[in-house]
Amino acid sequence: MSSTLKTSYKEDMALFQNLWVKVWLCILIILMTIVPFLVDRYQLSIINEICIAVIGALGLNLLIGYTGQISLGHGAFLAIGAYTSGLLTGKLGIPFLLSLPISGLMAALLGMIVGIPSLRLKGLYLALGTLAFAFIVEYVLFHWDLTQGDMGIAVDRIRLCGFVIKSERQFCYLVMTFAALATICAKNLVRTKTGRNFIAIRDRDIAAETMGIHIAKYKVTAFGISSFYGGVAGCFMAHYQQWISPGNFDLSVSIAYIAMVIIGGLGSILGSILGAILITGIPHGIMYVTDMFKEGYPNISNFIVDIKLGIFGLIIVLTLLFEPQGLLGIYRRIKIYWKTWPYKY
Amino acid sequence: MEKIIEILFNGLSMGAIYALIALGFVLIFKSTGILNFAQGELCMIGAFICYHFCTLLNVPYLISFLIAIALGALLGILVDLLFFRRLVGEPLFATIMVTVGLASILTCVTGLIWGHDFYSIRSPFMGKTVALGGMVFSQVSLYSIGVSVLLFALFILFFKRSLLGIAWKGTAENSDIAGLMGINVKKMRMIAWAVASIVAVVAGVFLAELSFVHTSMSHTGIKAMSAAILGGMKSIGGAVLGGVIIGVVEGFIASYFTGIEVAGFHFGDLSDVTAFAIMIIVLMVRPHGIFGKEDVERV
Repeated sequence: MSSTLKTSYKEDMALFQNLWVKVWLCILIILMTIVPFLVDRYQLSIINEICIAVIGALGLNLLIGYTGQISLGHGAFLAIGAYTSGLLTGKLGIPFLLSLPISGLMAALLGMIVGIPSLRLKGLYLALGTLAFAFIVEYVLFHWDLTQGDMGIAVDRIRLCGFVIKSERQFCYLVMTFAALATICAKNLVRTKTGRNFIAIRDRDIAAETMGIHIAKYKVTAFGISSFYGGVAGCFMAHYQQWISPGNFDLSVSIAYIAMVIIGGLGSILGSILGAILITGIPHGIMYVTDMFKEGYPNISNFIVDIKLGIFGLIIVLTLLFEPQGLLGIYRRIKIYWKTWPYKY
Repeated sequence: MEKIIEILFNGLSMGAIYALIALGFVLIFKSTGILNFAQGELCMIGAFICYHFCTLLNVPYLISFLIAIALGALLGILVDLLFFRRLVGEPLFATIMVTVGLASILTCVTGLIWGHDFYSIRSPFMGKTVALGGMVFSQVSLYSIGVSVLLFALFILFFKRSLLGIAWKGTAENSDIAGLMGINVKKMRMIAWAVASIVAVVAGVFLAELSFVHTSMSHTGIKAMSAAILGGMKSIGGAVLGGVIIGVVEGFIASYFTGIEVAGFHFGDLSDVTAFAIMIIVLMVRPHGIFGKEDVERV
C-alpha cells in the first residue's frame, strides 16, 4: 500500500527514508530550538520532565516492546542512576560529563545482574523477579548511610566545563539534546543485528535460538541497555530536581513508565516518545483543569496526587483492552485512512 | 524456648494470612493463567468494607465480615466480567499489566473513598488474649490460623470430592478440552475470581486485626506472592507451605536480625525484604517452586 521503490541498498538502509521525513525532521529541530524561548518557566519545566521521561521510556520500550521481557522495576534503575550521579558529583566532585555515563553504566551493570535470572525465567516469573529487585533497591536506599534514607540527598547543579546550568531553559537545551541523542541511538539500535535479535527473541525465543541467536547474551544485553537508559534518565532527574529521596523512585514510577510504553505503542520508538509526552502531560493537564475550579473547591489540588496513579492504571487497562497498539496504532490507522481515502483500503 | 515458641506462633499467624493471599493467587492462576497483581488490593478493599460497616455503621462484626465477603465476591465477578473475559487468549504481558493497572486503580479508588489514614476495625478480638501453658497468645492469631486451616481443608475437599471442584481442575488443566467436555469455562473462571476475592477478603480482615486498615496493606499482597512462588504457583498445599515458611522466617528475622549495622548500613527491619529476598532466591534456584513441575515447552 505505502511501499516505495528503492533502487539501492544505500536508500534502503537510510535512517531517514525520504524527503518528507527529512523536512519534518528539520521542522522539529527548528521547533526544538525556538520553543524554549517562546514558553514560560512552568511550560519549560514540563518540557524538561518530558525529555527525561522520553529517555527512560525508550529504555523500557527496548526491553518490553522489542525484547519482550517484562520489567516492573524500571524505577529502581532510575534510582540507581540518580543516586550514583548525585553521590559522584556531590561527594567526589566528579564532573557531570563523566558521572553521566558512569551512572548509566552502574545501572546497566545492576540491570545485567537482574537480567541473569531472565535466562531461566519467562513472563510472569521475570516480572516478579524485577519487582522484588525494585523493592530491595528501595530498601537499600532507605537504610544506607550514604544515601541518607528517608531524608534523601541534595544534588548539585550540572556543571559543564566550568559552565553551570542554572535556568530551566539551559537545562532544557541540554536534556533535549540528550533525549534526541537517545532517540537516534535507539532508532539505530533496533535496525542493527542486535535489535533484530531482540525482536526475534520477543516473537518466539525457541525459534530464535534455533536460528542461532545467542539468547542468553542478547537478553542480558537488552537488560543492560534498558537499564543504561534508565540510569541516564535518573541522572538527569536527580540534577533537575536537585533533591532525591527513595520516595521519588517507588513502584508508582515504574508503573508510570510502563503506562508510557503501553499507551505509546509497544515495540516502537515513536510510541515511547508519544507515551512519555502523554503520561508526563496528564498530571499537568489535570492540574490545569482543577485550577479552573479552584475557587469553588479549595481542596481539589490534593486530589491530583491521589488520582494520578489511578489514572495511569486506568490508561494501562483501557489501552490494553481496546487499543493494544497504543497511540501509534491510532496514528497508523488514521494515516492509512487518509492515504487511501475515499476507499476503505 | 518460650521466645522461640512465641515467634513461631506469631510467624504462623502471619503465615496463615500469607497463605490465604497466596491461595488466592493460586486459585486464579490455576484456572485462568493470570497472575493477579491486584490480590493485595482485593484484601485491602475487603478490610476497608469490613471497617466501613463495622466501625462506621455499627453493624455487628460477624455480619459486616459477611457483607465484606459478599461484596468482595461481587467485586471479583465484576473484575472478571469487565476486564479478564475480554482478555482470554491475549499474550501474558497484557494480562499481567491489566492486573497491575487494576491494582493502582483499586488503590486510588480506596484512597478516594476512605482516605489514606490508619483505621482499625472494632472487633470482638481487640486486645483479647488467650493464656496457654504460661504463654500468652492473641485471640486474633488463633482465629486466623483456625480459619485458614478450615478454609484449606474445605478447598482440598472441594477439589477432591465435588463435581464443581473437578470441573475447575479440568478447566485449569486445559480450558479448550474442558469446554469440549461440556464444562462452562466462562462460569468456571468467574467462580474462580469470586472465590479468590472471598479468600482475599478473609485474609484482609484478619490482616487488619493484626495491623491496621490502610491503603499500604496491599503491600502484603506482593509479599504473599513470594509464598505462592515458593509453593509453586499451581499447588494449594504449596501455597500453604510457602505462606507458613515466609511467615515464620520473617518472624525469626524480625526478632534476631533487626537493628544490625554493618559499615554504615543500618539493616533496620530486615523482615520488610525477607519475602523478596526469598522470592529472588527461589526464582534463581528453583523457579517452579517446591511443588511445581517444570514446564516443558513443546515446539
